[in-house]
Amino acid sequence: MKRWFLFLVAFGIFSLFAIKGFSLTADEVMKKAYHVQNYLADDERVHVEMKIIDSQGRTRNRVITMLRKDMDNEDKEQKYFVYFMEPPDVEGMTYMVWKHIGRDDDRWLYLPALDLVRRIAASDKRSSFVGSDFVYEDISGRNIDEDVHELVDETDTQYIVKCTPKKPDLVEFSYFKVYVDKKTFIPMKKEYFDKNGKLYRKLEVLESKEIQGFPTITKGQAVNLETGGRTEITFSNVEYNIGIPDDVFTERYLRRPPRKWLK
Amino acid sequence: MYNRFFKKLIRFSLDRPWMIIGLLLLAVVGAVFQYPKMKVDTDPENMLREDEFVRVFHHQVKKEFGLYDFVVLGVVNEEDPNGVFNVETLNKIYHITEGIKKIDGVITREIIAPSTKDNIRQGQIGEVIFEWLMAGPIKTKEEALRIRDEAMDNPLFYGTMVSEDGKAICIYVPIKAKNISYKVSQQIKKIISKYPGKEKYYITGLPVAEDTFGVEMFKQMAISAPLAAIIIFTLMFIFFRSFQLILSPMIMAIATVLITMGLLIGLGYPVHIMSSMIPIFLMPIAVLNSVHILSEFFDKYQKIKDKKETVLAVMDELFVPMLYASFTTIVGFFSLSFSPIPPVQVFGVFVAIGVFISWLLSLTFIPAYISLMPDSRLTNFGSRETEEAKGFLKWVGMLSFQQKYVVILAAVGLTIVSILGIMRIKVNDNPVKWFTKKHEIRIADEVLNRHFGGTYIAYLVLDAGKKDAFIEPDMLNYISGLQEFLQKKGIVGKSSSLADVVKKIYYDLLGGDKRYFRIPSSKQGVAQCLISFENSHKPDDLWHFTNPDYTKLNVWIQLKRGDNQDMSRVIKAVDEYFKAHKPPMNFTYNWAGLTYINMVWQDKMVIGMLKNFLGSYVIVLFMMIYLFRSSIRAWISMLPLTITILFIYGLLGWTGKEYNMPVAVLSALTLGLSIDFAIHFMQRARAMYGRLGNWQEVLIGMFGSPARAIGRNALVIAIGFLPLLAAPLVPYKTVGFFMFAIMAASSVITLLLLPAIIAVFPSMVFEDRETPIFCSLAERLLLAFSIAFAVGYLLMGYLHFGLQRTVFVSILIAVGVFLFEQIISFGRWCREA
Repeated sequence: MKRWFLFLVAFGIFSLFAIKGFSLTADEVMKKAYHVQNYLADDERVHVEMKIIDSQGRTRNRVITMLRKDMDNEDKEQKYFVYFMEPPDVEGMTYMVWKHIGRDDDRWLYLPALDLVRRIAASDKRSSFVGSDFVYEDISGRNIDEDVHELVDETDTQYIVKCTPKKPDLVEFSYFKVYVDKKTFIPMKKEYFDKNGKLYRKLEVLESKEIQGFPTITKGQAVNLETGGRTEITFSNVEYNIGIPDDVFTERYLRRPPRKWLK
Repeated sequence: MYNRFFKKLIRFSLDRPWMIIGLLLLAVVGAVFQYPKMKVDTDPENMLREDEFVRVFHHQVKKEFGLYDFVVLGVVNEEDPNGVFNVETLNKIYHITEGIKKIDGVITREIIAPSTKDNIRQGQIGEVIFEWLMAGPIKTKEEALRIRDEAMDNPLFYGTMVSEDGKAICIYVPIKAKNISYKVSQQIKKIISKYPGKEKYYITGLPVAEDTFGVEMFKQMAISAPLAAIIIFTLMFIFFRSFQLILSPMIMAIATVLITMGLLIGLGYPVHIMSSMIPIFLMPIAVLNSVHILSEFFDKYQKIKDKKETVLAVMDELFVPMLYASFTTIVGFFSLSFSPIPPVQVFGVFVAIGVFISWLLSLTFIPAYISLMPDSRLTNFGSRETEEAKGFLKWVGMLSFQQKYVVILAAVGLTIVSILGIMRIKVNDNPVKWFTKKHEIRIADEVLNRHFGGTYIAYLVLDAGKKDAFIEPDMLNYISGLQEFLQKKGIVGKSSSLADVVKKIYYDLLGGDKRYFRIPSSKQGVAQCLISFENSHKPDDLWHFTNPDYTKLNVWIQLKRGDNQDMSRVIKAVDEYFKAHKPPMNFTYNWAGLTYINMVWQDKMVIGMLKNFLGSYVIVLFMMIYLFRSSIRAWISMLPLTITILFIYGLLGWTGKEYNMPVAVLSALTLGLSIDFAIHFMQRARAMYGRLGNWQEVLIGMFGSPARAIGRNALVIAIGFLPLLAAPLVPYKTVGFFMFAIMAASSVITLLLLPAIIAVFPSMVFEDRETPIFCSLAERLLLAFSIAFAVGYLLMGYLHFGLQRTVFVSILIAVGVFLFEQIISFGRWCREA
């Protein structure tokens, strides 16, 4: 609670600086945006609905409940627990992530129909998030240390930061631009450019509001300009600081989801 | 028929030559101005109407399952013990793929290559890994071998992207439109030229074959047509020894071609594989009429000594046979306009127009040209020639009627042998086979299909109309059974479906135990396997095999050959499987894919061509009945043509050549060209009989200038088109060979068989009765038969009667017509005066 208060104060001071014309460096902007997107409060429960719309207008739905808990105060270690409710055939599927900085995340998947827990490994974090136009990294947050940041523009309301990956071979883009709201530090838009410098995908925040004092994204979308498909994502029933215990994020809860915390 | 109007027209042309030449020049210039508007269409898909079900369905399937036409690049390394799976080759493939991504018109995200495909595999115990098969350039041999082992373990990769022997990798390059495939293949060639070494590169795929054909076709047009023109020109020079004189048919032929093509382009029709052959078809036809005129002019000039009078005398004799010869050809080609294939319609109509133009020009331009020639040039012209028969032709003539029964027997024998040959004909086509065996596309096709499951793709699309139908394990097992069935029959190289995807994921999720290479036992199990797959880099790959609500399934079938016969075998086998094994759920199914489309239009074409051919046969028959006022003479005149066609197609059957598009179209040409000879022979023989009154003398006379004209025509065209045999494109070779065979066969058959028949029944051919046609019993019978034949054709071809019903109705008609004729033959008009 105290930390949260302190944060608000710090936030307020920064906002004041911003109004007074004190510009932030690109790294500072990205650090804040990274925090606002991924590390608000100590933990969080959110109901997520995704609508995947392909270029032919065909839609698929994904409904999940997601639990998150931060494991330190430095915006680093984090754990996620994902419970699938829709589509009906995958209900009861669970997914758990231990996010690490500087090494690969640990990920587990439980498939109830096969009664199977599997660790998932991936060569990178650019694979799709359950078939949507979001990639894994969009959801878990791309570690800001992986890119070089450059403040390319600043408007009345936004900082525009160009992020160039330090290891370009690991990703399919050459750089991306982030449009960060000056007031809330919500990254309102991310534009990804391919190796030929062509814009090929973008993420947009469509709605955001303050919940329990936190600037929270409530609706967004990922647009794949290459395929013509897009995914709308809605966050509802957002609750922060509900006090999820650590042991929820362990393998044994994959098979027996923690109903109490999922509600 | 040779009425005042035409006489006036010819007279006018002789008197006002410059007017005619000016008009012709105007027409040619007008036509040439249309050429910049030329649109080229080399897409065989356009052989079907745009709204044709197969085409509409094909495009719907492509859209629905996100499918594109592919250019296939094969990389083969036979030297390295590990084939292509060595560091150097794989890195080359990586860089080539990166280069291909930059080519305009390539659908980058759908490229199938080691570096663009995601792989699922087992890691440590209880771990599955999603990763790019080849994330980037590699450094060690171990990495190369790991890529090999993983690719070989993925049913979606081996046989498609990697060859089972490990010697080759195929990169599938999806393109926006088929008509850029040649351009794309050229750019790919540029890229691979930067990576020389032990690797051999091959580019193939139906779109490339089709598009490359288009490009080479135009090159051929620029070589073949002029080459044919030069040879025809040279031969004519040998026959007539007057450069100035033979210039006229050449000008006429070229003008005919230019005007016709200008008209085609000006009216907005694209130049298609078919219409590109118009010049080659028009050239001999245009030359044909003028050779008759010149040949006759040549023979007569020294007697008459006045060029205008000679022309008029020539026209007196030739107008009717030329009229009929031209109009039968026009009918033959115009009949193609009833074909179900749009490019064939266009081809037929414009060749018909071209023939009309050339006929008109032979009545106007040739006289105008001759009248402009200075008399001094003509003084020695044709002085060596006589109208009488001599030498070889005379010998042929004597043979034909002295050995008439031998000739007739030989013709009967030839007919029987030919019919036996026709029964052996295989209807088959494959655009890749339009290239000669040594062409790089043929070689690439052969090499890649030896290494892989096949580069020809057809899609079998199942629609259950019910949500989640295709994640039911029963359905997937059913489809899997179908795939095994096809594989066991050995008619498909490989097939891939959602069942393979599910099995592969299930097997990896369960730790790579081969026992689990199967479909999970519950629908939820399948769904959860699939959603696991959707966590990969390319979740959309799933939608090439099914649709998001799983109501439809798309089975990819790879064939090693794109021949129609192979495709129809697969279709039959699939039908057989569906019939023999009751599906767990009802569904409808249809086919898509270029290999399938080719089969459809080719089948359509064969039936269509046969129908059209019979149609024009019937029309020509009735034209002959009208021309000769006798069905007996009409049938006699149809004999050489009939036997020629039987012989040509019999030859095709005996030599094992396949019946394909160019061969089918040639039937119309045969009809048009062979009937010409018969008409000229019969008509002129009858005219001569009117003067001589003795059939033996007529026959000897016929082997003078008339036979000479026929022989010259045959030689000019037969030899003129021989250079086509050297063309790198098989359809051109086929046309060359057939022109030769048609000309040789029809001239020989005409010159031997007609005199033999005349010798047997001279009075039937020559004696004109005063009474109408139905007064003779034989004519009555034959006319009734002809009418019944025509009606039978209409019933079967257009009203889709079965054979039995058709025969029944035709017999009724024959009897009815005969009885009617019988009754009216008792009338007053049949009493001899």
